[in-house]
Formats: sequence, structure tokens, C-alpha cells
Amino acid sequence: MIDRRYAALVVRLWRQHRVALLTMAAGLALFEFVITRIAPAPGEAGFLAGILALMPPQVSAFASDELALASPRGVIAFGYLHPFFLALYSAWTIRVTSGALAGEIGRGTMDLLAARPVPRLALVLAAWVVMAGGLIVLGGAAWAGTAVGLSLRPLEVTPVEIVALPAMAWLLFTGWGGIALVVGATRREAGPVIAWVSGLIATSFVLDFLARVWTPVQGLRPLSLFAHYRPADIVRAGLSPGDSAVLAGVAIIGLAAAVLVFGRRDL
Amino acid sequence: MSAAAIETHDLTKHYGAIRALERLSLRVEPGEIFGFLGPNGAGKTTTIRLLLGLIAPTAGRAQVLGCDTSTGSTWRQDVGYLPGTLALWPALSGARTLDMLADLTGRPPAWRAELVERLHLSDADLARRVGSYSDGMRQKIGIVQALQCAPRLVLLDEPSKGLDPLIQVAFYDLLFEVARRHTTVFFSSHVLPEVERVCHRVAMLRAGALVSLGDVDDLRRALPRKVTVVFRDDSPAVDVAEFGRVVERSGRRVVLLVAVDRVPALAARLASTPVADLLVEPQRLEDAFLEQYR
Repeated sequence: MIDRRYAALVVRLWRQHRVALLTMAAGLALFEFVITRIAPAPGEAGFLAGILALMPPQVSAFASDELALASPRGVIAFGYLHPFFLALYSAWTIRVTSGALAGEIGRGTMDLLAARPVPRLALVLAAWVVMAGGLIVLGGAAWAGTAVGLSLRPLEVTPVEIVALPAMAWLLFTGWGGIALVVGATRREAGPVIAWVSGLIATSFVLDFLARVWTPVQGLRPLSLFAHYRPADIVRAGLSPGDSAVLAGVAIIGLAAAVLVFGRRDL
Repeated sequence: MSAAAIETHDLTKHYGAIRALERLSLRVEPGEIFGFLGPNGAGKTTTIRLLLGLIAPTAGRAQVLGCDTSTGSTWRQDVGYLPGTLALWPALSGARTLDMLADLTGRPPAWRAELVERLHLSDADLARRVGSYSDGMRQKIGIVQALQCAPRLVLLDEPSKGLDPLIQVAFYDLLFEVARRHTTVFFSSHVLPEVERVCHRVAMLRAGALVSLGDVDDLRRALPRKVTVVFRDDSPAVDVAEFGRVVERSGRRVVLLVAVDRVPALAARLASTPVADLLVEPQRLEDAFLEQYR
């Protein structure tokens, strides 16, 4: 019976967000497809490497390492670090997590949910499940876009080799989702949650960028979640167990903290 | 003694320096229609939210259907709730809203069809999005969702708000019917006549504290009588003020509130005085409560 209640919560959130999710997924698929069209052919890589070597490190740092853009593999990896990709993932994560807890309280609908025989744990878990499930849909769409592109324009990388990219992006944003749930569990309106989490993601991204190009703050880089998400390294060497563990740890701790905080607060 | 539907012991809720509820102790019996009266800010909604476990008490404890409200959630399966400020999901239809809330309750909506009929909700109404509903329609959906799963206890926070007079009457009949089926109704309101009309017992809160609690008929019987005396002379020999509290005096007409046991003495004194008219009537519960509020 409890399963049916969990399912009802998940279905309600899914219905609320499905149009936005499918739109974002279509956008990501198209974007990653386009990336395969603009990636340099293997024969062009040497020429591009020469140009990139002339770029200031502040610019090439966007691509995670200096030579990433010089190869088809690097450009495809860059498609998974591009601000458009990160913006859509962030929007989805923030949309679901802010709406499910603080948003329901702010709208006044939380009373009807929390007055039911549903543990508060279920309310948090339902938000997490929809958020994490949506990230799988987004990742799947992005990968499908890349795969279709590579099938039409074979490059030196196969779709199987880049499965790790959406997988690591999933870990990164379930980490952000955990943080967003903690923030959402403490607030009474969605607005402040959106502001706080957007600010944290942006700050973390900027910190990672600055730490790569500015020596005085280099030591702070591990504090940014983005330091543990390096698409260029992933396509070159596969998933890093250490980075995966950090992101998974943040996700788990965030979820646990959200359950604890939301379970004890006044609604 | 059987388990009470609701039992609180020194239930207290403070928000910083604000004392929303102060040491509330009461017991509501199964099958009772219990009125919970008080002006805005008296602590009615706070009490209901404490009973549902939506907020935690600062001190004291509450039991609902024999279960401590601070532990678990399965007891809520037998509880229906209509919030004072009802918010619904505007994109959902009325029918889908009711389905979803019944699924979350985990029990079949056994009373829904009857409730929908009594509150004059058509299939077309239920097929529409809640966002297009009027306040009254929303309130009807709120009442249906609270009662549809045949709860053993229903907590209604100002339930008649937004209902037109005809539907209000249907709603009162519904409450009597629900109570006949042994469902306890805990009913907060500041509309005194409806509480007087519907409830078996009533509690009154003021500034977070319980002011009075009792059977509606007993309270009514115990109320002072409203005595209107019209004297024949401008300067009557009797000083009626010694029998009660004068609330109005205009010319030869005096209106006073007299304790029930003092009415015979007043009548005896007036018998020897030239009186043009004398009217003794029970004070309305509403008047008595309004005096308590002041």
C-alpha cells in the first residue's frame, strides 16, 4: 500500500514536469547532434591544435584542458560541458527540487499532501526520484543526439565510448539535486530556493574555472563540484572512481540531510 | 473508557514570543460534532495543524484516534482534513485531484459519489481544471476530498467559507449524516450560528487559551436571560441594575442581562411596579460569545 502512495506522489510530479522535461530533452538531443556536425574531422585536428595553442589559457580552460577542442573526441566531450548543456541540467534539477518541497508549501498544497498517511520521507524521495529520473531522460536524449550524429558522420569516437559522459553528468546533478533538496527542505517558498541553488551552481562553476586559470585559488578547486566532472578526461580515460565517489557522496549526504531536515520542520 | 477521537494534554505552541496556543486540554468523543470557535488568530488553525502533526508542539501532547500525533503517519489514513485556506493544483481536473488524494490516503473513495451528488458537482464540473473553478467550487472539492475515503475523524477548518446558502444547508445535513455513520467531526469556525446549529459540543479559544468548553444546549441554558422592561413612569421605583447588568437604557425601556436564578426575584419585584411591557428571552449563544471576544 505504501508503494501505491509513493507511486501517486511520483506520478503527480511527473505529470507536473513532463512537458518541460521532454522539451529540454529534445533541445539537448538536437544540441549534441549539432556538436557532432561541427566537430573537426580527424584530419583537421592537427590544424586546430595549432590554433588552440595560441589561445590564452583563460579561453581554452572552458574546454577542460588545452587540447580538448583539437580532436573530435574533445569537441564531443565539450558538448557535455557547454553552458547550454549545464543550464538545461541545472534548470531541470532546480525546477523539480524547488517545486516539490518549498514550492508546495508556498502554494499551500503541502497541507493536503502532508495530512495524508504519507511519511515526509516519501515526499522527499518522490522529488528525488523524479529529479534523478529526469536527469536520466536528459542524459539519454543527449547521448542519443550524439549517437545519431556519429552514425551519420563517423568520427574517431563511438557512441559506446561516450556513455560515461551522461552517466557522470547524472552523478554531478544528483549531487546538486541533493543540495537543492536540503535548501528546499528549509524554505517556505520556491523563489529563494531557486535563487540560492542557482547562485551555488554558478559560484561553483566560476570557482572551478578560476582555479584552473589563476594560481592563487588553485587550492580551492576541489571544493567545486565541477572539479569532479571533467568530460575531456572521461572520454580519454574513462570514469574516475575518486570523482564518482565524491559526487555520489554529495548526492547521498544531500538526500539524507534533506530527509532529516524536512522530517523535523514545521510545515 | 473508549479511546477518544481527539485528546490533548497541555498542548502548547509558541512561535518565538508569540503564544499561538497555550496548554490546551480537551477530549472529543467518537461520533461527536465538535465546534471549535474563536476569532481570527485565536489558535484554531494552529490546533488543527498540531493534531495533524504538520507542526510540532512546543509542549504537551496530542492523540488522534488513540495514536500519538508525533509518531508515524498511518493513523492519518482514518483522518480527513479540509484546510482553512484551501489550495489545489490548478492544472489538475477536479476528478484527477480527488483520485490522486484518494490514492495518497490509501483507501477507496467509498463516499465520493454521494458527496458529489449532495454538493451538486456534475461530471462536467469534475472534468474541468481546478484552475477554472470559483471559490465555492474549490471549497466543494475540498469538502469531498476530506470526506471521500470515509474517515473516522474529519478536521474541518472553516468549511462553509465560500459556499452559497443552499449548499451550506446541504453541507450541514452532510455533517449530520457523517456523524450518524460514527465519524467524528472537528469543526473550526468563527460563524457562531452555524456552530450552534450543527455542533453537539463547543470549545471557545481566545488568544490561544481555552475560554469555555461544553455542551451547546447546556451552554445555552446557562446563559443569562435577556430581560427587556418598559416602565410606565419616567422614574421607576425599582433599580433593576441590582438584578443584572444593564446593557441598554433608552427612556422608559431598559434591557439587562440577568442570571437564570435571579429572574424570579426580578419578576417578583417588578410585580409591584407599574410596567408597560416585560420580555424575558434566552440570550443567543452568538451574543454570549461576542461578549467573550470583547
